[in-house]
Amino acid sequence: MTGRERFLNQMNGGAFDRSFNMEFGYWDENFTEWKIFAENGIKNNAEADAFFAFDKIASVGSEVWMHPCFDSEVVEHHQDYDVIINSDGVICEVQNTGHASIPHFLKSVITTPDDWKKVKEERFRLDDPARIPDIEALKTRHPAGRDYPLGIWCGSMIGKIRDMLTFEGLAYAAYDYPEMVEDMVETCCQLVEQSLDMLLPHFQFDYASGWEDICFRSGPLVTVEFFRDVVMPRYKRIRRKLDQYGIKLWYIDCDGDVRPILPYFIEGGVNCLFPYEVNSCAHPGEILDAYDGQMKIMGGVDKIRLAAGREEIRKYLDSLVPYVERGGYIPFCDHRCPPNVPEDDYLFYLDLKKRMFGLKD
Amino acid sequence: MTDFEALKTAIIKGKRNDVTAIVSAAIEQKEDVNKLLDLGMIPAMREIGDKFSRNEAYVPELLIAARAMQSGLALIEPLITASGRKAKGKIAIGTVKGDLHDIGKNLVAIMIKGAGYDVIDVGVNSDIAKYEAAVAQGAQVVACSSLLTTTMPYMKEVVDHFKPKGIKVIIGGAPVTQAYCDEIGADGYSDDANGAVKLLDKLFA
Repeated sequence: MTGRERFLNQMNGGAFDRSFNMEFGYWDENFTEWKIFAENGIKNNAEADAFFAFDKIASVGSEVWMHPCFDSEVVEHHQDYDVIINSDGVICEVQNTGHASIPHFLKSVITTPDDWKKVKEERFRLDDPARIPDIEALKTRHPAGRDYPLGIWCGSMIGKIRDMLTFEGLAYAAYDYPEMVEDMVETCCQLVEQSLDMLLPHFQFDYASGWEDICFRSGPLVTVEFFRDVVMPRYKRIRRKLDQYGIKLWYIDCDGDVRPILPYFIEGGVNCLFPYEVNSCAHPGEILDAYDGQMKIMGGVDKIRLAAGREEIRKYLDSLVPYVERGGYIPFCDHRCPPNVPEDDYLFYLDLKKRMFGLKD
Repeated sequence: MTDFEALKTAIIKGKRNDVTAIVSAAIEQKEDVNKLLDLGMIPAMREIGDKFSRNEAYVPELLIAARAMQSGLALIEPLITASGRKAKGKIAIGTVKGDLHDIGKNLVAIMIKGAGYDVIDVGVNSDIAKYEAAVAQGAQVVACSSLLTTTMPYMKEVVDHFKPKGIKVIIGGAPVTQAYCDEIGADGYSDDANGAVKLLDKLFA
């Protein structure tokens, strides 16, 4: 059984010989702090994937977001942080000490419909030639007879808008200028539809992927009504295109407590969560049981448990066994593995995962 | 005669123009500022906070309500000072050193301010010196937030620093738990912004 066949069967209800073996990656610090990486010259996630001999999985897409982006530049330099304008046009503070942390967002350049109109005309043009993918180059890289799963990128309907407006900015804009925010979502949808039209006829894709990160530990960062009425109908449009080409699995990367908007993910045609952050939501089994067959998960191994010692790791993996056996679930760390996980325990986890899920006798 | 129920509803629904109109009219009529706070604004924030705890409202609704409350509060702040009304307590709040996340910290600050506490927001990436400066300004409780498993150990340093001085430290954030709170000897933990208000009410009771 090839990796591609295994992935398709495991996630779409067929028989599989063992679990597809993958991980989401590591924080930058792991590459300097973990001996196994430092001593073997492993400097990034791609090299780590090859080093651990994980099953190959790939994805292609074309430009479906702002283009051209804003020029990213440092506007103030401080001892341990810089104030920058990022590529989404947001003024933010970023640490310059080498420690990983998401930026502290201060202010967006877009606050009114006039701001949006200007940015849309300059940076969200459907006819921008940079949006046309090089099909032949992609075919060379991912030939039809490949033995690994290949996905198609379906972008973001609201998460990138959140990035562009800031979290507070989106909350206020959705209340003050609902038509402007809906136009932003519609623009994102049209860009993705155009990309799908250009790519889908040329490849036999095995899955679709997207990113939102639109939930916090306390639930969604937009109202449930907004998600249902504005975002979900756009998912439906994308799902129709995926269906035309037989793509069953569509995962969305969304951290936080997704449960309040989960029914609308499903209604929109999204049927898998990735990498499914446990600590802010629930044990993956809760979602898989509640939405049996309708929602699948890739990820869901709680990084907090990975840092809690071998007994906790063993207990946690034990709790995942029935879900892996049932299908529709591939276990791996529920985000980039942080450096507070002891590397020996991480290696223990990888080995135990192999033993428990069929990679090792 | 001020319609306190209308004020409450306007705040909960985030209608800041309505809030401004009601509060302006109340000021014109020389309404007791304590009544505006105790019968309108604070109960409104408590109600939206309780809805938040029951998963009937989410972060955007909290933000919109807080913004509406703030628009009314700005109008009566001079009157509150003149009335001699005392805050329920003074809290220093910040995201700990090494961590730039501020969504959770901001939500807690909004809710505790809405509940009648004075808040000194020391911002993100806060070392002990920043909290210490707030304590020097009268903060009685230090509230620490962390979103990263790698930054939450700094909370223990904050606890160890302030505990001998009699300053209480409360903690929260995505990876933080009651067990971690117990382990580092912090004075309290809450898993959401509304719970932080209840925790402070208990500490100040």
